Amino acid sequence: MIVRPPILRVALIAVMLATIVVPLAGCDDGARAEDEVVVTGSTTILPIAEISAEDFTEENPGTKVLVSGVGSSAGIESVSKGTSDIGTASRDLKESELSLGLVDTPIAYDAIAVIVNPENPVRSLTREQVRDIFAGQITNWAEVGGPDLPVGIVNRDEASGTREAFKKIVMGDTDFDRTAVILPGTGQVRMVVGEAVGAVGYISVGFVNDDVAAVTIDGVEPTLANVLNGSYGLQRLLHFFTLGEPEGLTKEYIEYVLSPTVQETLVREAGFVPITQGDPPPDVIGGQDD
Amino acid sequence: MTDERRATTTLKRLSAATYLKEGALKYLFLLCAFVAVMGVALIFVFVGVRGWPVFTDVGAGDFLFGGLWHPGEGAFGILPFITGSLVVMAGALVLGAPLAVGAAVFLSEIAPPRVRAVVRPAIELLAGVPSVVYGFFGLMILRPVVADLTGGLGFGPLTAWLILAIMIVPTIATLTEDALGSIHPGIREASYAMGATTWQTIYKVLLPAAKIGIIDAIILGMGRAIGETMAVLMVVGNAAVFFQGVDMPISTLTSQIVMDMPYATDLHRTALFGMAIILFLFSMGLVGTVRLLSRFNERVR
Repeated sequence: MIVRPPILRVALIAVMLATIVVPLAGCDDGARAEDEVVVTGSTTILPIAEISAEDFTEENPGTKVLVSGVGSSAGIESVSKGTSDIGTASRDLKESELSLGLVDTPIAYDAIAVIVNPENPVRSLTREQVRDIFAGQITNWAEVGGPDLPVGIVNRDEASGTREAFKKIVMGDTDFDRTAVILPGTGQVRMVVGEAVGAVGYISVGFVNDDVAAVTIDGVEPTLANVLNGSYGLQRLLHFFTLGEPEGLTKEYIEYVLSPTVQETLVREAGFVPITQGDPPPDVIGGQDD
Repeated sequence: MTDERRATTTLKRLSAATYLKEGALKYLFLLCAFVAVMGVALIFVFVGVRGWPVFTDVGAGDFLFGGLWHPGEGAFGILPFITGSLVVMAGALVLGAPLAVGAAVFLSEIAPPRVRAVVRPAIELLAGVPSVVYGFFGLMILRPVVADLTGGLGFGPLTAWLILAIMIVPTIATLTEDALGSIHPGIREASYAMGATTWQTIYKVLLPAAKIGIIDAIILGMGRAIGETMAVLMVVGNAAVFFQGVDMPISTLTSQIVMDMPYATDLHRTALFGMAIILFLFSMGLVGTVRLLSRFNERVR
């Protein structure tokens, strides 16, 4: 009779234990390399952060800038926990976030456009009308001078910085219509509004294209000049948050984003308004494909 | 050393190596099973520990039977999502189960081998399509169709039903085909020998004989439907309200967890894990039912 060597059994039990213990011990996210900047947050800021990161690492060989878009709230949570170096957000800090010790560097202006289907003749709304539409109180376009057509609200998810800003600027204490469609991305909102005649949504002006039509708010068009002179109401700042004053490579990257190289090209091309304003050009922002 | 003795030694050595290999393999397979069980156990413990406080902090009644979900204002009622998940699942089954059972009957009883060689891989391929692709298909193709039919935006249970009905076909069809295939050939032959037509054989003999297997298949299809997340999220509208109509947005347990997870903190996050517990219990209930049924089936035989 052959006796199985006991060492085999011991080894296998050890392997089994290792399968449990190793993954648990592997959750180490504290230490990061010096030549690496991790940027997490707003999907609105993602295009700027991503392309500027590529250019930055090209100009500074050996460095790495890792960018991901997970939403403003997640970005703020991530930077305050030290998981990332920069948390990007398309909204201001909430009261509960003020005590986290975050330093704010505004990098651009953004304006929110209220968009409708191009076949919908409505091109002008007051801020109150916009609020009543998204509260579900205006349910037919005829109530705001349009055709007899039911309003189809397309809202954003609560993780969205755009929704946060829209809620703060337009809705105030009024609640959104709870029965409205909620979509998890700017692209989906634009697509659905572009396809459905009665639909209405809101997106950053930087993402308005020919598929949809942006309406004037209280008679003011969402143009670059109107954002800069403050007459367009639905606007906000885009932020880079750091835990304490930015240092080292993080600081260099932020300075790069604030430099004319990025501000005058990337930021403008994305449809946002540069934070370091030269002479405001009179051209209309938006209207370009992203 | 005689030849005989030498031969015995060689045999013994060979046996030792073989036994070692056999033993190692035995433990290797044990390890595989162990990892699977550990996976389930770890997930259950993790979800349970993270989600359990919701039942005391919010209260089991307010959590499970509350009709308002408004995390910002401390309202954590998940009844809209529970009913939403059930509505989405039920509609998907009503549409998908007959389709799948029909396809299985066709494959098992009617299709000539050459047709079967095309249809069966096609159905199996359906199972391999990533759910985000189903969701994209639903969003781009089915939603506009539903929008035209109903006059709304096309987000809601109806679109989710159509997508899920297709998604659960492979699960139900392959298991139903197995159930039909495991019927003793004699039963089928006896039916034909008595002059029954193909339809009579299928309807009166084969489907009743495979009944429990088919119910198993449908229950596992239910599990697939209630657990599906991405495809549902993309077409169901995600409004945290009760079912109001086939073209009115609702939300489900799974899609709401995904929508809220990126920004949820504190009690809100705990509530999401609480929803995961409910999903887990539901899956356990479905699997348990299948086990019970198959035990019952064995006893009947």
